[in-house]
Amino acid sequence: MTEPALKRPLTRSRVALLSSALGLLLLCVAGVSLLLGTADISWDQILGLVTGEEGQSDYARLILFEIRLPRILLAGLVGFALALGGVIFQALLRNPLADPFILGVSSGSAFGAILGIVLGFGFSIGVPVMSFAGALLTIAILLQISARKMGMESSTILLTGVIINAFFTSIIMFFISVSADAKLHSMLYWLYGDLSQTKFEYLLFIGPVLLVATFMLYRLSGQLNLLTAGEETALQLGVEVKKTKRSLLVLVSVLIGTVVAFSGLIGFVGLMVPHLVRMMFGADHRLLIPLASLGGAAFLIAADTLARTVISPSELPVGVISAFLGAPFFIYLLRTKGSQWDRS
Amino acid sequence: MAIIKPATNKIEPMTVFLSVPPRLQLSHLLAWILFGWATSAAGASFTDSLGRELSLEGKPQRIVALAPSLTEIVFFLGLGDRLVGVTKFSSYPPEAEQKPKVGSYVNVNIEKIISLSPDLILGTVDGNQPQKVALLEQAGLPVFIVNPRTIREIIDTVATVGRLCGVSERATALADNLSSKVDEIVTRTESLPRPLVFLQINPKPIMSINRNTFLHDLIQLAGGRNMAADEPITYPRISIEEVIQRGPEVILVSSMERGGDFEAARQQWMRWPLIPAVRNNRVHLIDSDLMDRPAPRVIQGLEILARYIHPEVEWDH
Repeated sequence: MTEPALKRPLTRSRVALLSSALGLLLLCVAGVSLLLGTADISWDQILGLVTGEEGQSDYARLILFEIRLPRILLAGLVGFALALGGVIFQALLRNPLADPFILGVSSGSAFGAILGIVLGFGFSIGVPVMSFAGALLTIAILLQISARKMGMESSTILLTGVIINAFFTSIIMFFISVSADAKLHSMLYWLYGDLSQTKFEYLLFIGPVLLVATFMLYRLSGQLNLLTAGEETALQLGVEVKKTKRSLLVLVSVLIGTVVAFSGLIGFVGLMVPHLVRMMFGADHRLLIPLASLGGAAFLIAADTLARTVISPSELPVGVISAFLGAPFFIYLLRTKGSQWDRS
Repeated sequence: MAIIKPATNKIEPMTVFLSVPPRLQLSHLLAWILFGWATSAAGASFTDSLGRELSLEGKPQRIVALAPSLTEIVFFLGLGDRLVGVTKFSSYPPEAEQKPKVGSYVNVNIEKIISLSPDLILGTVDGNQPQKVALLEQAGLPVFIVNPRTIREIIDTVATVGRLCGVSERATALADNLSSKVDEIVTRTESLPRPLVFLQINPKPIMSINRNTFLHDLIQLAGGRNMAADEPITYPRISIEEVIQRGPEVILVSSMERGGDFEAARQQWMRWPLIPAVRNNRVHLIDSDLMDRPAPRVIQGLEILARYIHPEVEWDH
């Protein structure tokens, strides 16, 4: 940890170059994903769409732009946010096992969503609102606890997260065990994560939050580098440790609460994508933040595409694919490159 | 498919009657009248759908039903007062709510069941875990397991439970009545074109049923084609894309609540007028209690289904 990546020359142009390369990959993945699906869309129909020809293209337009596109965009935004959250929390807590859910935001959201399902709220507004409220509740509890005398040590924050998780999980288990069969599927699939039935309106809500949060987080990336070198060092180098930590915690939690409200719990991405990118491109946060976010977006779009095509016309939960294919790749990188963790 | 029928070592009154010399017939008849009825009910032996032998002493008077569907069957046979225990969510008929609960049907409370000292426990293959059934048997309690997979087998189950409880005649009559209702619907719809039907059993994610379910059987009997029949998964998640591609003529949403959930699901479909069912205003709600349970009410569900799938038929009642 004493020889931080800060000394390694990282030019703006390198960040820009790698980011645009990954951005291009993201676009390609999204493009391929748009063309894959249960419904057969012929090239003629796509051509008809492009040239604006009337007639048959109605069907293609509906499938491509009103069903697949919003779903792909949601997968992208969710993957982006989760990977970003993972990067921040791993650095902030200096723990390779940290993911965006580690502070219990996920279980708070899940508690809200499942309460919403139990109360019979609708899935387009009621359940997401409840889920978001659950996330905010968790953040409030977290800040309340950490603001008391225990301070903001990483271990305290981690333990607080674990205990919040355990508490809400018990309530969730209670709801699941007493609920009628008819609601079980909805609850379980919410917990597995589900990107189907996405509407453009969701994106209008997530998009701006994501944009603002990403911008603010990126501005803090330099301080994040210093924080990973150790809190005392960071303090000496002029970082307002406590304040920075607090804003990072709140920013990430609100961001994660927002996406989870619409996607349900999707694991693996937030934990693994940051590591994958770190192993491939190094641990400097000025590079890691954009690359992990874009990578997370591409990864989740790819995983969701497989989830909806692999046993088509049925669908699988996206979490099935992401960990099943992601884990072997992760192990491969781990063997060839090492975790890169201690070098950050 | 296991068909449930009583084993044959029950005394058959008619064979006894015919095999005796003519001279003795009258006295035998008398003897049969005096004792025969009793013996045919007492000590009878039955084989359940798992092939387990079960002998019953006399007519069961303290029955525990380990699934809401079995509770409905027992009430349907007019034996509700013999029920001493039911599972959670046994909501029909309303009297069932008053019965002592023995847990939920996937997780029954063994101690509670034993404390009710039942003389017959009815269970299902799907819901009741084998270990728990084994425990009940160790406790010396008679357990009979049913496993109806089709509508006809549901009707058979009604008759079987009736025989178990010693009300064979009533049960047979009731079962025949159910069968004739099914037959009537089949006759009236079988020569008609079969519309493609999408049955949605869950709002989010959208889920349907394949051919391994009796819901599929219901759609078939009602003269429709189940859109998800050939899915490899019993309860598959279906994408909106798939529904648009297949273009079902009827969409049925099976729901517990008539309010919010269903209206929301219907609104979801209304966004896609490319689907014939949506264009022709043929998105309907079906009370899931009439469809999901392998119980006599499923025939009501079938009647409703047939009306939605074939509105062109002049249904009389």
